[in-house]
Amino acid sequence: MEDRQLETPFGDLDAFHGAFAELYPRLVSYARRYGATFAEDIAQEAFVILMQREERVEHPTAFLYGTVRTLSLTERRPMKNQNLSLEAVTEPGLAGGADDQVLNQEVRERMRMLSPTFREALWLFVVEGLSIREIADILGIPEATVKTRIHRAKAQLKDQLNPSGGVHVLV
Amino acid sequence: MSWSDPARRFEPAEDVELRAELRELLGLGAVPQRVVAPVTEELASLADDLRKEAQRRRRTERRRPSWGLMAAAALPLLAALAGLGTWGVQQKQRADGLAAHAQRQEAELDRIAAANAAELARERKAKEEAQQQLQLVARALPKKSLPYLVIPVDKPLRMQGEDYQRVKEKPGQ
Repeated sequence: MEDRQLETPFGDLDAFHGAFAELYPRLVSYARRYGATFAEDIAQEAFVILMQREERVEHPTAFLYGTVRTLSLTERRPMKNQNLSLEAVTEPGLAGGADDQVLNQEVRERMRMLSPTFREALWLFVVEGLSIREIADILGIPEATVKTRIHRAKAQLKDQLNPSGGVHVLV
Repeated sequence: MSWSDPARRFEPAEDVELRAELRELLGLGAVPQRVVAPVTEELASLADDLRKEAQRRRRTERRRPSWGLMAAAALPLLAALAGLGTWGVQQKQRADGLAAHAQRQEAELDRIAAANAAELARERKAKEEAQQQLQLVARALPKKSLPYLVIPVDKPLRMQGEDYQRVKEKPGQ
């Protein structure tokens, strides 16, 4: 008989099932974006590593994303390009496979124009919907740096939209 | 079914606003309402399998040695080091003692040598003084004395017959 009150990083067993159902597809998609060949395995391994930990994880979502990122980059370490890919991207967290859930070509182009460093932070913040704190945990950088990257990405996006050199503030 | 992450729950309004603004810039539109993903039988089964795998790994993984265990493992080494240290200290004390003893002996030898040298100098000085005294005494003596020893002999009163021959007569006699 399964113990429903079993404690997991997300709460009881039902909460864990709910979190898994929501996060697993997102993590698989995230691993694919880093060019992982075995994205499902990486996402599952991230969950196992999280559950295996004896110490309490403060932000399990950030921990999972960070683990998937590390495992994906480790898997494709021999390859030179370790930047976030924008190919075949679908906005995660949305069920189904309708065409409107696929990021259109224009959005992809806009993001592609950003520097890879800013793009990664922007992706996690806007598309994955993670908080600044979570992104800082994932990337292993201070929150202030994450904010700076996001604001610079915003400035670059504004530049793209206004190539004639219109005046706008950085932040 | 609900699960929550504190980092997500308490996101500042400023960040939410920034996200909306960025979505606008990217042409993504408004932030979509989170759709609660349905927990299918397959996903729940996979989640349970992963949870069990984590439990299995936690049971079977090699435990990191605790401080007590590490201390116990290091005890022989510490004992050996302590023994070695004690032996070293003893050897040092012994060497210091021997060095002090040798130094004392050397000082004693130096003292004896100095005493001997002083005695020798004193004797030499006394000898020189005695020689000087002898010379003075020798000068003070009369110089008539023959330079060779004369043994007085009584002349014979008469000739002892004809039993001798005068072999040679000294001129002037």
